[in-house]
Amino acid sequence: MATTAPHVGGATGQPEQKKHMNPALISMLLFIGSELMLFASLFTAYFFIRYGVANETWPPLKADGQPFQLPVLMTLVNTIFLVTSSFTLWWGEKRLAAGDNKGLIRGLWVTIILGGAFLLIQLNEYAHLGFTPQDRAFSGAFYTLTGFHGAHVLVGLIVLGLCLRRAYMRDFSPSYHTPLTAGSYYWHFVDIVWVLLFILVYLV
Amino acid sequence: MSYWWIRAFYGTVGAVLFSFLLVFLLRAAFGFEPLWDGAVYGAVAGLLGGIGFLWGIGCFDFWLGWAKGADISHEDHSFHGVSNWKQYFRLNTDHKVIGIQYLAMTFFFMLWGGLMALLIRTELAAPGQQIADGETYNGFLSMHATLMIFVFAVPVFGGIANYVLPIMLGAKDMAFPRLNALSFWFLPVAGFMFLASMFTGMFSSAWTAYPPLASQGTMGQTLFELGVQFAGASSIATAINFLATIITMRAPGMTIWRMPILGWATGVTSVLVVFATPFIAGSQFLTMFDRIMGTNFFVPDQGGDVIMYQHIFWFYSHPAVYIMLLPGFGIISEVIATFARKPLFGYRAMAFSMVAIAVLGFGVWAHHMFVSGMASWLRVPMMITTIIIAVPTGVKMWSWLATLWQGKIHIKTPMLWALGFLFTFLMGGLSGVFLGVVPVDIQVSDTYFVTAHLHYVLYGGSVYTVFAGIYYWFPKMTGKMLSERLGHWHFWLTFVGTQLTFLPMHWQGLQGMPRRVSDYDPRFETVNSIETVGSYMLGVATIIFFYNIVVSWKSGAKAPWNPWRGKTLEWMVSSPPPLFNFDAVPQVVGGPYQYGIPDARHAVVFAPEEFGGELKEDTRFPVLVVANETLTSQALIDEVRSRNADGLWSFELVAPVGDDDREVVQRRLATTLAILAGHGVAATGRVAEGDVVDVATEAARESDPNEIVVATLPLSQSRWMQRDVVDRIRKAATAPIAHVVVPADDARAIGGASALPMVMVVATEAIGAEGLATVVRTRADAQPARFTVVAPLDLPEPRWGADANERRRAAGEAMTATVNALVSTGVAVEGQVMDDAPSVALPLAIGAYAPSRIIIAGINGEARALAEAAEAAAGDTPVETVNLGQIAGA
Repeated sequence: MATTAPHVGGATGQPEQKKHMNPALISMLLFIGSELMLFASLFTAYFFIRYGVANETWPPLKADGQPFQLPVLMTLVNTIFLVTSSFTLWWGEKRLAAGDNKGLIRGLWVTIILGGAFLLIQLNEYAHLGFTPQDRAFSGAFYTLTGFHGAHVLVGLIVLGLCLRRAYMRDFSPSYHTPLTAGSYYWHFVDIVWVLLFILVYLV
Repeated sequence: MSYWWIRAFYGTVGAVLFSFLLVFLLRAAFGFEPLWDGAVYGAVAGLLGGIGFLWGIGCFDFWLGWAKGADISHEDHSFHGVSNWKQYFRLNTDHKVIGIQYLAMTFFFMLWGGLMALLIRTELAAPGQQIADGETYNGFLSMHATLMIFVFAVPVFGGIANYVLPIMLGAKDMAFPRLNALSFWFLPVAGFMFLASMFTGMFSSAWTAYPPLASQGTMGQTLFELGVQFAGASSIATAINFLATIITMRAPGMTIWRMPILGWATGVTSVLVVFATPFIAGSQFLTMFDRIMGTNFFVPDQGGDVIMYQHIFWFYSHPAVYIMLLPGFGIISEVIATFARKPLFGYRAMAFSMVAIAVLGFGVWAHHMFVSGMASWLRVPMMITTIIIAVPTGVKMWSWLATLWQGKIHIKTPMLWALGFLFTFLMGGLSGVFLGVVPVDIQVSDTYFVTAHLHYVLYGGSVYTVFAGIYYWFPKMTGKMLSERLGHWHFWLTFVGTQLTFLPMHWQGLQGMPRRVSDYDPRFETVNSIETVGSYMLGVATIIFFYNIVVSWKSGAKAPWNPWRGKTLEWMVSSPPPLFNFDAVPQVVGGPYQYGIPDARHAVVFAPEEFGGELKEDTRFPVLVVANETLTSQALIDEVRSRNADGLWSFELVAPVGDDDREVVQRRLATTLAILAGHGVAATGRVAEGDVVDVATEAARESDPNEIVVATLPLSQSRWMQRDVVDRIRKAATAPIAHVVVPADDARAIGGASALPMVMVVATEAIGAEGLATVVRTRADAQPARFTVVAPLDLPEPRWGADANERRRAAGEAMTATVNALVSTGVAVEGQVMDDAPSVALPLAIGAYAPSRIIIAGINGEARALAEAAEAAAGDTPVETVNLGQIAGA
C-alpha cells in the first residue's frame, strides 16, 4: 500500500479516487467461493457415505441387491459437451473484445445450446438410471450432487440467456461487458464443478 | 397499507398457491402416492412464499427490469433515504436506513428470544413442572437459541456495520445498495418462519438440529430448515457486499493499515461468512431431503451416517461463533481507543490476530463432538488447534488492556459496556480453554458448564459489544443523545444479572446437571432459583434499554456531530449524516486512532462550512454558558469545572443585560472569568445587550456550541424563569441544554473564590466614607480579586465600656453597609472589625489572610499612621496608600 504524502488542499478540490478492481467481478468471485463451499459440504456428505460402505464392494448395492450402475460413457460425452461450452463462451468474449458483437452472439448461442443439451441428457440419464433418491444413502448423495449441479447449470443458462438478449441490444462493448464477464465466471465455475463431480462420483 | 405491502401480501399468497398447484401437478404427473403430503407442500410453499414476499416488497424490481430489457437507470435513487418514519417499513437502498432496519428487526427477534429465555428460566425456577411440559420446554429452548443466533447475534452486527462502516471508509454507500436491501429483507422472512413454527408444532431439536431427532420433527422443523436457508442467504449477500465495499470503496489515502479496526473485523467476519455459511445450508438441505423426500443420508442401516451431519453442521457453526464475536471485537476496539483517549495498542497485531482467529476457526469444529463417537484420532489435533486459538484472542485482550493503561479514561455508557465485555468475555474465554481439553470436555459435555461457557462468550462477545456499539453510535444514527443515567442503570442491571444467571451454572455443570432438560434434581433448587432471579433482572434491564431508546429518540437532547470526540470519519459528518454521507470525497491522511498526538489527523473532509472547520486533537468545542445574577455562584462554577474535567470543551460565557446595571454585570463576569482562569478553565466572556432568549440564540448560532448551560435562580425568584427562558432557548437553539438552578444565597456569594488573589483593605475612619467603595470597585475592575476590608479599632479603655461599644457598633454598621454596597455591584468582598490598635491588629490580620496586596484607605494623617503600621507588618507584600481625604477634597 502506498503511503506517499497525500495531496491536501481545499482550494484545489477533489482528491483523486484510486482505480480499484471492479466490485461486481470481486463479488462474483466471492459468490463462486461460497458456491464452491456448498458443493464442498455436499461432497463431504458423499465421502462420509462412501467411507461408511468402504468395507463393501464399490459401487455399493442397491436396496434390491444389485450394484449401482452409472452410465459412464454417456456422461463422458456429456462432460465433453459442457467443457466445450466453456471454450465457446471464451471465444465469444474474445470476439467482443475485438469489437465483433455478432461473434459474441454466435458464441453465446453455441454455449447455450451445448449447456441445454447437457441438461437434457442429464435428465434423460435420471429417467433411465434404475434407482431413485429414496433407494439408499448413496443414491440420495448422487441425486443431491448432480441435482444441485443441474440447478446451477439452469441458473447459468438463464444468466447467459439474459446476456444474449443484452448482446442483441448491443449493450456490450469492448470497454463495458461486466455482466457478461460475471456470467462467464459463473459458467466456468459450473463447468469445473462438473469435471470434479464426474471424476469423483462417476470415475473413481 | 401501502402499495408495497399490498403487493407483498399478494406476492406471498400467490406464490404459496402457485407452489401448491406446482407440487400437485408434478406429483400427479409422476404418479406419486399419496397426492397430498403436507411436508412436501409445506416446504415448497415456504420456499416460494418467501421469494414471493421478497418480490412483492420490491427487492427484485430493478433486476427484473434489467432482465426484461427495460430502460433502467443506475442513478435512480428513488428508494434512497427516508423523510418520515413510515418509510422505514418499506424497501430502501440507503445503507443508513438499512442499518436501522437491521437493528430494529434483530432487536425485535431478540425480544422474542429473550421472552423464550425467561420462560425457560421460569420453568426451571423450581424442580418439577411449572409452566411447560418437556416437549414445550424443548420448543422454548430451541426457539430461544435459534432466534438469538440466526436472527439476532449474527445479523445484528450487519446492522451496526451497515450504518457506520461505509461512512468510516469515506464511501457514499455500500458497493451494492440493492443487494443490501435484499439481504435485509431475507431477515424478516427467516425470523417470521421461525416464529410461525410456534403455530405448526414447535421444532424441538435445539438450534443444532441433529438428526435423527431433526428428521422426525413436524412442519415446525421444516420452517426451521427453510428459515436457516433464508438467514444464511442474508448473511452471505451482506458479507459479499461488505467485502466488495471494503476492497473497492475506501476513500483516497485509506490504506488497509489506516482502516478503522471495525473495517478489519467486518472484512474478516465476511470472509468467514462467505466460506462457512454454505455448510449449514448444505446440512439443512440434507436433513430436509431426509424428512420430506425420503432420502437416507442419516439412516444408518441404509448406508447413511449421523456423525456426518455433525461434521458439516459444526464446520459452519464453529466459525459462526467467530462471526458473532469478531465484529464485536471491532466495536470494542473503537470504543476503548476513543474513551481512553489513546491510540489503539498494537493496531496491526489486532488486525492479524483477527485473521489468525478466522483461519484457526476453520480447524476446530470437531471439539464440539468429542463424545459423539467420531473418529477418535481427530480429538487431539482438534484440542490443540482449539487451545491455540486462545493465543490470538489473548493478544487482543492484552492489547485492549494496554490501550486502557495510563489512558485518560472517560466512563461513559459505551465504555462501561466495553469494560463489562472485557470481564465477561474473559470468563467465557477461560472456561472455553477448559472445554477445549478432551478429558475435561468428556466430563462436562452436555452439562450446564457448557451453557455457562457459551452464555459468557455470547453475552460478553455479542450482547455487550452490540450495546457498546449502540450507545456509541446512537447519537450519530439518530441525532439524539441517549440518557446516560438510564444507560448506567441498563448496564449495571445487565452486568449483575449476567453474573447472577450464568456464574452458578459452572458449578451446576461440574455437579452434573444436564442441559436442555426441563426438570432437575431437587438439590439444585436454590442455585436455579437464584439464576431465575438473575434472568428477570436481565429482562428488566432490557425494558429500561428500550425505554431509553424510545424516549431519547423522541425527545432526547440533540446530539452534536462528534459527542465522543472520535477521530474516525463518521464523526466528521453531521448527526445524522446527510443522504450521501459526504458532499465531497474525503482524503485520508493518517491512522484512525491518533488520540493525544498533536497535529495528527485522520482525514480531511472537503466541506468545511458543513461541520465548522478542520478538527485537531487539541481543538476544544464550545460550550455556551448563559447567566447574569448567578454568574459568580458556586453552583455554576462547579458545573463548568466538572465539564472542564473532560478536557474537551472551551467555555463561552454570555451575560445578557436588560435593564440592569451593565457595569455590575461586567464586574461579575470579570470575576467569574478570573476564578475560572485560576482553576485552569479556558473561558471567554462577554456582556450582550438584549433579551436573554435572543442573546442566547444569537450566540448559539455564532459559535455552534456542543451544549448550552443556562444558570438561573430558583423558579420563584428568577426573573428569567418567570418568562420560561430555558424552554424558549431550548426551542430556538439547536444544541442540548443544561439548566443549573442556583440558590439565592449562593448567587450572592463568590464561588470558588480561593482561586482569586486576596487583597486586604485597611480602613478605620474611612469605613463609612463615600470614597472607600469606589476605591475597591476601581481596583476590582482593574484586576479581579477578592477583598477583605479590615477595620482595626483603637478603642478607648475599658473596652467593655459604653464608648467602646458605641464605636464598635457604629464601625460594624458602616462595614456592613459598605460590604453590601460592594457585593451588590458584583465585588467579592468580606469585612471584619478588629478590636485592637493597628500596630497589634494588622500583623494578626496579615498573618491570617496572607494577602497579595494591601491597600490602606485613610483620611489624611490617619492614612499615614495606618500605612506605617501596615508596612511594619507586611514584609514583602506591597502596600498602597490611598488618602480618601484628598479624593474627597479633590
